[in-house]
Amino acid sequence: MSSAARAGAENDIVSRVPDVSALTWALDAADYLADPGLAMALFMAVRLPQPLLLEGEAGVGKTEAAKALARVLDTPLLRLQCYEGIDAAEALYEWNYPRQLMAIRLAEATGEHRDEQSLFNRDYLMPRPLLAAIEHPGPRPAVLLIDELDRADDDFEAFTFELLAESAVTIPELGTIHAVHPPIVVLTSNRTRDLHDALKRRCLYHWIEYPSAQHTAEIVRRRVPRSGEPLTLGVAAAVSRLRSLDVEKPPGIAEAIDWVAALTLLGVESLDASSAKATLGSVLKNHDDVVLVRERGMPWLVGAEHG
Amino acid sequence: MSPPGARVVVEPAALAVALASTLHRAGMTVTPMQAGRFADALPLVLPRRRDQLYWTARIALVSEPSQLSLFDAVFAAVFDGMLDPADNRGDTAGPPPAGSEPRRRPVASQRRQVAGEADPSTSRPATAASRDRGAEQAPEQSVVPAVASPDERLRETAFADLEADEIAEMRRLVRRVVLATPRRRVRRTRANLRAGERVDLRRTLRRARRTGGEPVRLIHRRRRQHPRQLVLLCDVSGSMEPYTRVFLSLLQGAVCGGRAEAFVFATRLTRLTHQLALRDPDQALAEAAAKAPDWAGGTRLAESLRRFIDTHGRRGLARGAVVVILSDGWEHGEPHHLAEQMARLRRLAHRIVWVNPRRAAPGYAPVTGGMAAALPYCDAFVSGHTLAALDAVAAAISAGGPREQAQTQREQRAQAQREHAHRRDM
Ligand SMILES: Nc1ncnc2c1ncn2[C@@H]1O[C@H](COP(=O)(O)OP(=O)(O)O)[C@@H](O)[C@H]1O
Ligand SMILES: [Mg+2]
Repeated sequence: MSSAARAGAENDIVSRVPDVSALTWALDAADYLADPGLAMALFMAVRLPQPLLLEGEAGVGKTEAAKALARVLDTPLLRLQCYEGIDAAEALYEWNYPRQLMAIRLAEATGEHRDEQSLFNRDYLMPRPLLAAIEHPGPRPAVLLIDELDRADDDFEAFTFELLAESAVTIPELGTIHAVHPPIVVLTSNRTRDLHDALKRRCLYHWIEYPSAQHTAEIVRRRVPRSGEPLTLGVAAAVSRLRSLDVEKPPGIAEAIDWVAALTLLGVESLDASSAKATLGSVLKNHDDVVLVRERGMPWLVGAEHG
Repeated sequence: MSPPGARVVVEPAALAVALASTLHRAGMTVTPMQAGRFADALPLVLPRRRDQLYWTARIALVSEPSQLSLFDAVFAAVFDGMLDPADNRGDTAGPPPAGSEPRRRPVASQRRQVAGEADPSTSRPATAASRDRGAEQAPEQSVVPAVASPDERLRETAFADLEADEIAEMRRLVRRVVLATPRRRVRRTRANLRAGERVDLRRTLRRARRTGGEPVRLIHRRRRQHPRQLVLLCDVSGSMEPYTRVFLSLLQGAVCGGRAEAFVFATRLTRLTHQLALRDPDQALAEAAAKAPDWAGGTRLAESLRRFIDTHGRRGLARGAVVVILSDGWEHGEPHHLAEQMARLRRLAHRIVWVNPRRAAPGYAPVTGGMAAALPYCDAFVSGHTLAALDAVAAAISAGGPREQAQTQREQRAQAQREHAHRRDM
């Protein structure tokens, strides 16, 4: 892939993403409001092209960033959701075992001879996201999202690292498949554990902070169109106050969206102590957190505490 | 198009070399591949503003949140404190400070302008100007000096817990920590400031070559601001012994790499700037030890500070300077004497950073007489007990935004006062 990096991105991609600000606008049109750092990170990932590792707390918009990028490029998003115990087969490809069995039975019934090789051809191959991304026929590269890699085990991480280096997949029965349009790769991690140094240094890297209250309010207004400015600003400020407490699960943007949606449904136009109290459960999903915040007091939460 | 003079004119490879090797010397691992990607990205991004350059560099070179404070400090040092690192942060903790800039999307007029600039026929690559008189070519290979990267464990080990054979390595690493002070603020708008700054890469590279191991500082064509004086006062009394050797390497790096002034004290104050400026680090430390007869004795903090202010500080060394005190604050004298001297120093210095390795101990609270009395006068209170923790020391020294400064100052004072009150109540 390093030779690809020298050559830069394909022409079609270059004309769609001529510069950072054009990308910022295209993302905006795809309903994703990227701050300057993230816009630059996505720009570099697309134009160099190089894999990008996005890290940040849950709910800061990592997954959505990759999805929005695929919308902007008008190309498929192939998402691999990682979990503990995920293995290469689930990520790359699997043989369609039931169909292979059926083919054997059919051959037996008709007296036809089937050698083993004929059972391991494309017809029986089920591509999983990594292979699908590599095989994507174009016209533009697919966006490959390897989501929450920190949940997978070390072995799987090492496997991912190799894939990033090669941009090709070897299937013993079929040979090596090279990407015609190497995918644009976005990896994410919630940092529940550290990824390997080698992997991190192989990637472009961006740490996404919680957005400022102003920016949070803008995002929320996009997602809950009927919400008014006083409400979204009030909620955004309250959410950032919640994060300053030692809560178990600090609210992300998704929680801010849920909260505003709940308040809007109740016809609330600006956040005050009583509406906050009634809807606290929609922003804090953990019971202990709710208790903690009740103790701190609703006036504090809505910024109405004096002195 | 803006006149070429208003641009930062740099050659991508040279810029990548300069920044990557400075980061490397400061203790951050940068692989040649990362440096190469940074160089590759520059002609694509064509950074026109400091923040665009910042993001390009950060995304290519940083690979860990824990590297951010060091990266920010080095970037600010290299690019003359043009960028307040706080501007790049989102909602770090709790409500944003009042008046902080909201992130705005570009307005329509900017959008038009940007579209024009994107046209390759009208936009001039930033590299063109620097290519023509090709007297000085950037080195093509080995962009990053082959320094063993400090492994993570070493980074996180308290200096006091290092094995004998690790100390030498640590001292070598610590000598490379870049301690850069903010520039003196001049009353001038940001826009003017920007226009006056241009990186003079030829001079920069020439100097980097001449000085060999010294941190690379980009030299600017028109330098209007000077960095503030850095003064380091290091406690070498018995209680600080486990930390002294490594801290002295920090002092040494600062004296050689910048123009810092270094003093040590136990029962009396000794100026060590000249001794530490010697080339051979071990010889320097030996000379330093010889010059300070009370090495590893008791502490007389207040008296040492008084001497510093009387004999050096008032004559100009401390005026507008960033003063760093490395001490556990275990004072033999009366705390109020120390408070008096701190108040005097406060009036002279731009910023006071207190580095106390004991701060890292679990359950530590600054309640010893000396420390509690001194804290209200400090702008930052950091531990500096590991290589990783020195990042925060570097950040505290380079911090300079008036807003940020006022804020930490206020917080620290409030905290110290609470603790003071608490002790009185007991
Ligand atoms: N910058 C943004 N612009 C628009 N919507 C956003 C943005 N950031 C986050 N969101 C929304 O917030 C929610 C959480 O984002 P998500 O990408 O799932 O977070 P993460 O993957 O970091 O945990 C989603 O509903 C997403 O649409
Ligand atoms: Mg996600």
